[in-house]
Amino acid sequence: MEYQRAVDLMSTVKVSYGDISAEVKKSALQDLQDHQEQSRKLSEDESNLPALQAAYRTILRGLGEDTERQGLARTPLRAARAMQFLTKGYHESVFDTLNDAIFDEDHDEMVIVKDTDMFSLCEHHLVPFYGKVHIGYLPRKKVVGLSKLARIVEIYSRRLQVQERLSKQIAVAIFEALQPEGVAVVIEATHMCMVMRGVQKINSRTVTSTMLGVFREDPKTREEFLSLIKSS
Amino acid sequence: MTGGRVPTVRHKAEATSHHHQPGISFRPTRKSDFADTVQQQVKHRRRQPASMNGVCNQSMVTGVTDFQRFNGFAEHPAESKKAMGQRALDTSRKESEDESKLPALEAAYVTILRGLGENTDRQGLLKTPLRAAKAMQFLTKGYHETVYDILNDAIFDENHEEMVIVKDIDMFSLCEHHLVPFFGKVHIGYIPSKKVVGLSKLARVVEIYSRRLQVQERLTKQIAMAISEALQPIGVAVVIEAAHMCMVMRGVQKMNSRTVTSAMLGMFRDDPKTREEFLALTKNK
Repeated sequence: MEYQRAVDLMSTVKVSYGDISAEVKKSALQDLQDHQEQSRKLSEDESNLPALQAAYRTILRGLGEDTERQGLARTPLRAARAMQFLTKGYHESVFDTLNDAIFDEDHDEMVIVKDTDMFSLCEHHLVPFYGKVHIGYLPRKKVVGLSKLARIVEIYSRRLQVQERLSKQIAVAIFEALQPEGVAVVIEATHMCMVMRGVQKINSRTVTSTMLGVFREDPKTREEFLSLIKSS
Repeated sequence: MTGGRVPTVRHKAEATSHHHQPGISFRPTRKSDFADTVQQQVKHRRRQPASMNGVCNQSMVTGVTDFQRFNGFAEHPAESKKAMGQRALDTSRKESEDESKLPALEAAYVTILRGLGENTDRQGLLKTPLRAAKAMQFLTKGYHETVYDILNDAIFDENHEEMVIVKDIDMFSLCEHHLVPFFGKVHIGYIPSKKVVGLSKLARVVEIYSRRLQVQERLTKQIAMAISEALQPIGVAVVIEAAHMCMVMRGVQKMNSRTVTSAMLGMFRDDPKTREEFLALTKNK
């Protein structure tokens, strides 16, 4: 019901973007994106709180804690609100965020926004993972406001995510909106589910990347991007 | 330092010189101010709901039920190392019960996922309630364990009275207010009084207390008091520097901020030079 509305909305929106590269059309990723964008309305958040609070109270009791003690009395409410904040990407759509800030500019050199802090939730354990995102694109007469790249990262990272999918969604979103020559996204993150539990390897990091367009085809372009995002 | 004399707890009636008086200094709580004998103190504490939290906050905490506190422990002998009331939350959860609690936790997580607008039937989320419940149980496994069980074997008599420091112990805990992780490093130092403890045991004490729903201040104090009780050293110092995801990922969203808390007991509290030496030795880089 909700999802159908979201899908309808997305399909009307897609028309205005015109040509979309064949490789990103009709993929399972696209499907997922359609279902997730705006699958939750901001106005409904308040009404969902009681159910979330009750769930958190059950969890606290099941863990052997005493929910009446002072430190935990309002924790179910705070935890529910925190969780809603950490998944607020479900409210937002790229279309709304980007639509105003695309400018015609006669620039066809690489544009990179690097070291964007990213915080997300692992969808498998509901434990945070965080790191840095580096985005680069080669515009084709259309540039986007720089902070909008960071906002795209926010939209997609404030969800239950898998790092691979996150980097792909960011790349695909930019690709769709600007139709540039190429897009590259690299994410380097620390997964708390690996650090705090499980294997407990503290210094390990996961790096995923998505290269679209000329970044995928031309190794020299890719090399230039990778050397520019290397930290000093 | 508060003015006036503060009472010290003596676990064993030993004839020791005034300088090397082992034990913990309390700031006076409401009723226990001048309880002279240990018996009196223990008896008094049993009248109060003596959870660790209550001792640390200097306030009455009525949250912990008597059932939890006395579950399995009928009498508390005066000489017992457990006399601090730590056992209020220690073993409030039995490891064998974890499996049976999973279904309830899973159902709660399914509610949460749906309430957040996600589709619980999609492939990535199918087993998430189970994984998240197990993860949560792991991250709060400190409720299973007691310091007494872990430390009791590894205390050795050693004629050493210089500072011993174990620093840069990685610590991961859960904020009890938002159920979001906070993590950082713990530095522990103590001056033994004829008794040293196995070094990894200090890290294990950190583990027990950090794998719970915690507040950083309380965590620091609990670690310091546990070591203090177990070894009766001349002094104990614990410093924790942590990053709180509840501040970094949400709320104010300040990436680089760190919270530092410390607990200084015994000689570290009384003597500024000792404290200074500890802080200088644990300074990083």
